[in-house]
Amino acid sequence: MKRIKTLLTVVGLTVAVAASAQSQGQMRLNEYLVINTDDYQDDFGQQSSWFEIFNSSYGTVDIGGCYLSDDPNNLKKYHIPSGDVMTQIPKRQHVIFWADNQPKRGTFHVNFDLENATEIIFTKGDGKSIIDRIKVRHDLPANVTFGRAMDGEGAFGPEANGEGWKVMENTTPSTNNVLVNKAAKPDRMKELDPYGWIMALTAMSVVFTALVILYLLFKTIGIANIKAGQKKEAQAAAAKAPAGEAAASKGTYGKVSAETYAAIATALHLYTVENEAHDEESFVVTQAATDRRYTPWSTHIQGFRQIPDVKRSK
Amino acid sequence: MHNIIENLQQFWTYTGFANCNLQYLIMIAIGLIFLYLGIKKEWEPMLLVPIGFGILIGNIPLFPGLQVSVYEQGSVLNILYQGVKQGFYPPLIFLGIGAMTDFSALISNPKLLLIGAAAQFGIFGAYAISLAFGFDAAQAGAIGIIGGADGPTAIFLSSRLAPDMMGAIAVSAYSYMALVPVIQPPIMKLCTTKKERLIRMKPPRAVSPTEKKLFPIIGFLLTAFIVPSGIPLLGMLFFGNLIKESGVTKRLANTASGPLIDIVTILIGITVGASTQADQFLQLRSVFIFFIGACSFVIATFAGVLFTKFFNLFLKEGNKINPLIGNAGVSAVPDAARVSNNVGREFDPTNYLMMHAMGPNVAGVIGSAVAAGMLLGFLG
Repeated sequence: MKRIKTLLTVVGLTVAVAASAQSQGQMRLNEYLVINTDDYQDDFGQQSSWFEIFNSSYGTVDIGGCYLSDDPNNLKKYHIPSGDVMTQIPKRQHVIFWADNQPKRGTFHVNFDLENATEIIFTKGDGKSIIDRIKVRHDLPANVTFGRAMDGEGAFGPEANGEGWKVMENTTPSTNNVLVNKAAKPDRMKELDPYGWIMALTAMSVVFTALVILYLLFKTIGIANIKAGQKKEAQAAAAKAPAGEAAASKGTYGKVSAETYAAIATALHLYTVENEAHDEESFVVTQAATDRRYTPWSTHIQGFRQIPDVKRSK
Repeated sequence: MHNIIENLQQFWTYTGFANCNLQYLIMIAIGLIFLYLGIKKEWEPMLLVPIGFGILIGNIPLFPGLQVSVYEQGSVLNILYQGVKQGFYPPLIFLGIGAMTDFSALISNPKLLLIGAAAQFGIFGAYAISLAFGFDAAQAGAIGIIGGADGPTAIFLSSRLAPDMMGAIAVSAYSYMALVPVIQPPIMKLCTTKKERLIRMKPPRAVSPTEKKLFPIIGFLLTAFIVPSGIPLLGMLFFGNLIKESGVTKRLANTASGPLIDIVTILIGITVGASTQADQFLQLRSVFIFFIGACSFVIATFAGVLFTKFFNLFLKEGNKINPLIGNAGVSAVPDAARVSNNVGREFDPTNYLMMHAMGPNVAGVIGSAVAAGMLLGFLG
């Protein structure tokens, strides 16, 4: 029992850790600014380099315990403190880190700056698994950011090569790199299909396709089932009767309609009702309890609880 | 004495009488009509009685700020209403529906699935009409789903696409589901010849337990892969059916098909009814929604019956389908199937179409959930 409990605990912890790691794996470096002279200011009124991390998942992710670095040989350069509520990043939200080499200013101020960095590396809590990395470009003008063309999309992971990144037209700290208008989808649909015919044809073809495939599958399963049933029936008949008679009885399986079974069930039901042999359960063919008192099944002796002998050690 | 009079005057301002106006009285009258139809006429009483009483609850004229209205955050009704607003009641209802539904008729004659698909034209016909009436695409999608003839699906989709219109859409969907015996027979008779109405269908074969167990698993995997946005509804529907058919989870099936669905039906009915407050409900657009809802049922019935006739062109003699079961493709279970049976028996009292009609009827449930998933995918 103890072993099972231990096993369950280990499995539970493994699953929890795996799930947590999986969520952290959904985080993406999303945008950065190297030279900040006239852009976003931190809480201290300072303009420093910054980079943005985006939670591309649809659940809150805690990045506490992960590492940030500008040095491939030292992935554990900046440890993001655990237990800070601010490190829990809601779904599809962004967080800004100030690369000002001022880690004493709080969780979101790292101990390196981008002006001297070659790349930004974001690593899981094990200090080894790289979630995302991006080379730092030093050819960008002041106050111009480099970011993902679409939030969270493009290359990521230890081999990320900057695919999907571009020089941004506007800096967008803590917001989407591309603003998506939520109402745009229905509006676009109405613009594209003002009378609804495209939607009707598309959706109906999908509905038909789904149900046609289901039809074909169950037609096949039905045929296979009937054949298997007939085979079994033939085998059973062959085991019981001489060869000639078995052949004659072959092939009734699947040909007996559900109505036949319904008629048999109804007849049984009516019979039991008329003879008051039916108990309280509706729609279930049951057998009423017998009136004979001394049947072995209802004898009192069987009903009494046997009191076990208690052996007490002195 | 002066204080007592002042108190009474103040109390008067809190009463429904002091805050009443014509709009509230109209809504209360509508609620009473629902109760009359549900109790006296027994039209969908399980739905119309809770909704009707919910309309009464939601339309007692209130002094604002009493924290009792369904729209006031933190009120009891508002908390119960979250199940509708956040869309978690409909999948629970689908769980119960799955646990109550016997797909045998469909499995024994799977071509009936296609009738369930054809009837979904009602949804997209209503979508096109809604666009013509000037509704935006998301609103049109929410109104269109009335044609699916499935209350939980209508609530689920409208809570996502057009939450402000959910009350009118839900009430419209449930009203027309109750009116299926009135709306469908004339269309069925109009579209069929006497000879077609007398078609006797081959009795369904007995379906093995293995097929019944496989159906929800394969059905879910297939439909969910095609329309992932329909997973909440399809997942619960097929899961409910699996716990029924597996034979090893009888207690779960009994709970899902009994106490659970009853509780959720009460909650959904009463809160949807209460959400139809006069100022939200009595608008010109509600009239449009009711009109388009009626059109969607008509289109769905036409599509189901005509498609069955068309389908018969490709079927051999002896395998033909009685087109009177085409109406059952709308998923008002089991009322639409009952209508098929009753109309069929008008022309041949010994021709029982009920079991045959249950095929397209339950296929309609799957079809409308898939269609809802499509609308959500495109417009959500």
